[in-house]
Amino acid sequence: MESLFDLFIRSIFVDNMIFAYFLGMCSYLAVSKNVKTAFGLGIAVCFVLIITIPVNYLIYNLLLKGGALIWISPALENVDLSFLSLIIYIAVIAAIVQLLEMIIEKYSSALYNSLGIFLPLIAVNCAILGGSLFMQERNFASISHCVSYAAGSGIGWLLAIVAFAAIRERIRYSNIPKPLRGLGISYITTGLMGIAFMALSGI
Amino acid sequence: MRKFSNTYIFIYITVIVVAVATLLSLAATLLRPYREANIKNETMAQILTAANYIHQDKKEIPHLFSEVATESEVGDIHFFSVNTSDGRLLYVVPVAGKGLWGPIWGYIALSEDLKTVEGAVFSHKSETPGLGGEIAKDAFSSSFKGKSLFDEEGNFISIKVVKTKTDDSRNNEVDALSGATITSRGVEEMLYRCLPEAIKAIQASTIQSQIQQTQTKE
Amino acid sequence: MMQLKKYLGPLNRNNPITIQILGVCSALAGTAQLKPAVVMCISVAVVCAFSNFVISLLRNTIPPRVRIIVQLLIVATFVILVDQVLQAFFYEISKMLSVFVGLIITNCIIMGRLEAFALANRPLPSAIDGLANGIGYGLVLIIIATVRELLGSGTLWNYRIIPETFYQNGYINNGLMVLPPMALIIIGVIVWIQRSANKELQEEY
Repeated sequence: MESLFDLFIRSIFVDNMIFAYFLGMCSYLAVSKNVKTAFGLGIAVCFVLIITIPVNYLIYNLLLKGGALIWISPALENVDLSFLSLIIYIAVIAAIVQLLEMIIEKYSSALYNSLGIFLPLIAVNCAILGGSLFMQERNFASISHCVSYAAGSGIGWLLAIVAFAAIRERIRYSNIPKPLRGLGISYITTGLMGIAFMALSGI
Repeated sequence: MRKFSNTYIFIYITVIVVAVATLLSLAATLLRPYREANIKNETMAQILTAANYIHQDKKEIPHLFSEVATESEVGDIHFFSVNTSDGRLLYVVPVAGKGLWGPIWGYIALSEDLKTVEGAVFSHKSETPGLGGEIAKDAFSSSFKGKSLFDEEGNFISIKVVKTKTDDSRNNEVDALSGATITSRGVEEMLYRCLPEAIKAIQASTIQSQIQQTQTKE
Repeated sequence: MMQLKKYLGPLNRNNPITIQILGVCSALAGTAQLKPAVVMCISVAVVCAFSNFVISLLRNTIPPRVRIIVQLLIVATFVILVDQVLQAFFYEISKMLSVFVGLIITNCIIMGRLEAFALANRPLPSAIDGLANGIGYGLVLIIIATVRELLGSGTLWNYRIIPETFYQNGYINNGLMVLPPMALIIIGVIVWIQRSANKELQEEY
C-alpha cells in the first residue's frame, strides 16, 4: 500500500466522490444554491465520514469478515457474516449521526445552528454509506489508511459542492435557454466540472 | 394517531430484527453454493482465456476445462498445463499483486519452453473504472502476447510496463495505461515477482516427470 | 382513468430523476453499458415495490418514533436479498455494479415513496406506486445507457450495432462517452428536452 498522503490526495482529486462515483448527488444538487449553506453541508459530511468509516472498519474486521470472530472462540472460524454488513453500516451511520446531533446540540449551540440542520440529511446521503462500502471493498491495510481515505473523500466532497455552489451563484446572471434553467444546467455544469477534474488523474 | 408504549416499541423492534436476521441468514446459506460455483467458474474461464480459448459458451466451461487443463502443484505454487486447440502445450500460471486500491491478479500463459508469453488475463477488485480498471480489457492483456521473458544470454528480464517504448530490441516492453501509473506498476511488479518462482516450479516438475519416465522405461 | 394517470405520473411528469431530483446518486454509475443499467432498473423497481408493500402492510403497527429505522431495516433487507440473488445468478453484472447495489438503500426514491405514499395507503396501490417509480427511474437510466453504449463502444447489449465498414472508413468510438461525467451531461440534455415539451415544468433560475 502506498503512503497515507498519496491516498489522501488521490481521494480528493482523482477518485472524487461526486465526479467519479456520483455519490451524494441528491443533497449536492439540493443544497448548492449558495456557497454558505453548501460549505456547512460539506463540513458536516467530512465530519461524519471521518467518524463512521473507521468505526465501520473496526466492526467489519472484528465481527463481520469471514473468520473474523476467531478472537471469541476458534469454533467460530467458519462464520462469515459479511452479508449483514450493509444493514450494520446503515445502522451505525444512523446512530452516529443521531449521537452527533445530540452532542452538538448540548455543548455548542452556535455550531448546532450552523451544522445541526444538515445532520439529519446526512444519514441518507449516499456518500457516507458509499464511503463505508468502498472501505470494505478496498480492504485497507490499517485504520490509519481508513482515516486518511475518509478525510480525503470528505474534503473532496466539500471542494466539489463549494465550487459548484459558487458557479451556480454566477449562473443566475447568465442567459440560459428557458427549458435548461435550474436542474438541466446544473447537471451539465457538474458533468463539465467532472471532465475538468479528470485532468488531474495523472497525479 | 395511536400512542405506543415503550414496551411495545421495544418488542416490535426486536421482532422485526429477529425476523430480518433469520430471513437473511437463510438466504445467504441457500445461495452460497451458487456464489461459490460462480467464482470457480470465473477462474476456469480466465485460465482458458489466457490460453487463447476465446468466446466459449459459459455452460461449456467446466467441461472444456476438465478436458484440456490439468492442475499441478509444486510446493505451494499451483500451475495449469493446458492443451491448446492447435495441439500445443501451454503452462498457465497465476500471478497476484497489488494495484492502487486493492488486489489485482491474473493468469499468464507461457510457451512450452517457458521463454515467451503466449497470452495473459488480468483482473482487479476495485481499480478506478476507465483508468486502472482497463487492465481487465483485452486491449491491454493482448499486448503481452509474444513478449519474451529472457534476454539472449538467458537471464530473466520479465516484462516492463513502460510509458513510452524505448527501442524494445529485447521484445519485453508493453505500453502502460494512461492515468493509471500505480496500477501499471503493480502489474509489472507482480510479473517480476511471481513468474520466476512459477517457472522454477514448472521446471522442477517436468524434470521430475522425465526422471519418472526414464525409470519406468528401464 | 384518474387512478391510472396518477400511477403513470412517475414515467414523465413526475419522474423521480428529472423532476423530483431523487435517486440521482446510484443512477449514473451503472450506465456505461445497457445491461447493468437494465439490471439496476429491475433491482430498484423490485426493492421499491416490495418495501412499499411491506411497509404499507405494517403501517398501522409501526410506532411513529421508530418508523425511519423500521423503514431502513426493511429496505436494507430487500437490498441484501437482491444483492445475494445477483451474486448467485448474474455474477458478472453484480461485479460490474459492485457497491452500487448496496447503495440502493440510500436511494432517496425508495425512502421518499415510503414516507409519501406507503404510510398512508393500502398495500396494493403502494406496491404499484413503488413499481411505477422504479420504472420511471429505470427509464431514464436506460436512455442514458443506450446513448453511452452506442456512441461509446458502438454496441448495444454487447452486440455490435455500428458496422465494421464504418470503422474502416475512419469512424472512431467516442471514448468520452464511457467516462462518468458524460452521464451527467446526457441527463442535462434529457431534462432540456423534457422541459421544452412541458412548459409548466420550467424553472426561473
